Amino acid sequence: MPRLTTRLALGAAAALALGAPAAAAAKTTITMSGSTSVAPLAAKLAKAYIKTHRGVGFKLLQGGSDVGISDVAHDRVTIGNSSRDPKPTDPPGLVFNKIARDAVCLITNDANPLGNLSTAQVQGIFSGAVRDWSGVPGTGGTIDLVGRTAASGTYDAFNKIFMGANRLSTTMAQKASNGLVQQTVKSDPNGIGYVSLAFTRGVHTVAYNGVSCNLRNAKSGQYGGVRNFFMVTRGAPTGATKKWIRWVQKNATAQQIVATDWVPLA
Amino acid sequence: MRRLPLTGIAWTDRRVERLLGALACTVLALIAAMVVFVFSKAWPSFAHNGLAWFGGGGNVDRQLAAIFDSPANPNDYVYTLHAWPMLYATALLSGVAVLCGLVFALLCAVFIVEFAPERMRRVLEPAVRLLAAVPSVVYGLIGVLVLVPLVGNHVISAGMKRSVAYVVQLDGTSLLVGAAVLTVMVTPIMVAIVVDALRAVPRGWTEGAAALGVNRWRAMWTISVRAARPAIVAAAVLATARALGEAIMLAMVSGSVGFAPNPLDGVLFLFEPARPLAATIVDNAEGLSVVPFGQTIYAFAAVLLVSSLFLSLGGWAAKRPLKRYGLAAR
Repeated sequence: MPRLTTRLALGAAAALALGAPAAAAAKTTITMSGSTSVAPLAAKLAKAYIKTHRGVGFKLLQGGSDVGISDVAHDRVTIGNSSRDPKPTDPPGLVFNKIARDAVCLITNDANPLGNLSTAQVQGIFSGAVRDWSGVPGTGGTIDLVGRTAASGTYDAFNKIFMGANRLSTTMAQKASNGLVQQTVKSDPNGIGYVSLAFTRGVHTVAYNGVSCNLRNAKSGQYGGVRNFFMVTRGAPTGATKKWIRWVQKNATAQQIVATDWVPLA
Repeated sequence: MRRLPLTGIAWTDRRVERLLGALACTVLALIAAMVVFVFSKAWPSFAHNGLAWFGGGGNVDRQLAAIFDSPANPNDYVYTLHAWPMLYATALLSGVAVLCGLVFALLCAVFIVEFAPERMRRVLEPAVRLLAAVPSVVYGLIGVLVLVPLVGNHVISAGMKRSVAYVVQLDGTSLLVGAAVLTVMVTPIMVAIVVDALRAVPRGWTEGAAALGVNRWRAMWTISVRAARPAIVAAAVLATARALGEAIMLAMVSGSVGFAPNPLDGVLFLFEPARPLAATIVDNAEGLSVVPFGQTIYAFAAVLLVSSLFLSLGGWAAKRPLKRYGLAAR
């Protein structure tokens, strides 16, 4: 059918003509996925980066540290955000670029402003040995534990840094993100939980071993519960990704942004 | 004959038949592919556990954490799981929500069709259809921001919390809130279907009853509702399917621990947390990258698929004896 072939050929040519200029003007998009703790920091950094660097766009997804590491290992994203250290079970060939450090804070409801918790007290509460607030001098009845699911980087950090060899109690409510833990403790006077430092508004933060959980103590190294944030790439970063990661690690504006709620590397 | 623009192809019957047949087969092929994919991924989890997968024993959260921490060597993958608490929670929440919802829906539908004044009906009917279209996440937000703190801080007493403190924590996320919000979510769908079915009853039947001296309520109950029984079953099946798949909302309000509520606890049974299968998938979706953990989550999905299949079969089986006296159901 000559009429049909002519029409199809015209249609294909038109599509190519429209597509070509779009391809020429394409900018690099850096996709990131992973930790819900790193996400607020990554969003702030990306917003500042595009103000001074043209031709780069960002897409930020979440899903948890393990999702980020798996995504970058399978080439689904450019960078995986992780809030935990590399594990031996991680896929091979990944490079963990440290970008900041973060404090994990213990939080309670404002109606129960605990002054301080020692390591032994934290382990007793979260392992279920102590079930009532009267056992730890605090106000309220039974203790309501709020934590994260097993796949979370914050869960990993809390287990390693605070719990040591003790197992977490089976009664602990396992929430899917920092925000949900914060919201649960905010609405439950008997609640106690752990979140990243950036999620402590509206709840009372408890000092750990006599050191209060704030940015200054995390920076000076006095606060015990500090963990690393990484941007994970497949192999050493190259091109636009390398520029972005080096900017995050070394640029003064970037360090200023990190210093608002997190601990800069320098 | 109409011709397709740009290419000049004619709409013959044979061409249309083949095109539509191809589309229908594509849909069937997609569904079959999805079922085969899910089962092939889920198989290792069932193979390692056998029928004990569906039984009880041990703490589900600890077992999931052990699966997540499996060593990297495929020979050492951990698969042990006894998923009874989650199956029980799924059945409990969906069953209670659909039963309560069905009672409400039936009475509400009878009111809308027969007893509501005209002005009230003009407001009520669109309102119910609107409620059926509300995204479930909205119900979840209201549940977690209003109902859960209300139940946790004001309804559950400190004494109740202390009595079960060594087994489970009662913090407001509970069967009660989960079932209540789920009921509110499925009832509008059932009302809409039952209203349509009651309206489809031939007027002659109810008028004949009126001529025999029966009042409106009795005519409605003994004739229209009886005739609409296949549609009521269809409404229940549809509502159960929606309740089974409800993930994010229940993850927020019904509890975040894999605990099987104990009916022997009396009133406390309502306040104990429960986490159905779909909510477990949503809460643990982060761990998919660990191979045995991903396969376990696919196993949950496979159970949900099979339960939907059994639900459809059950609905069909329930409607068969009703076909003799009632109207044809949808």
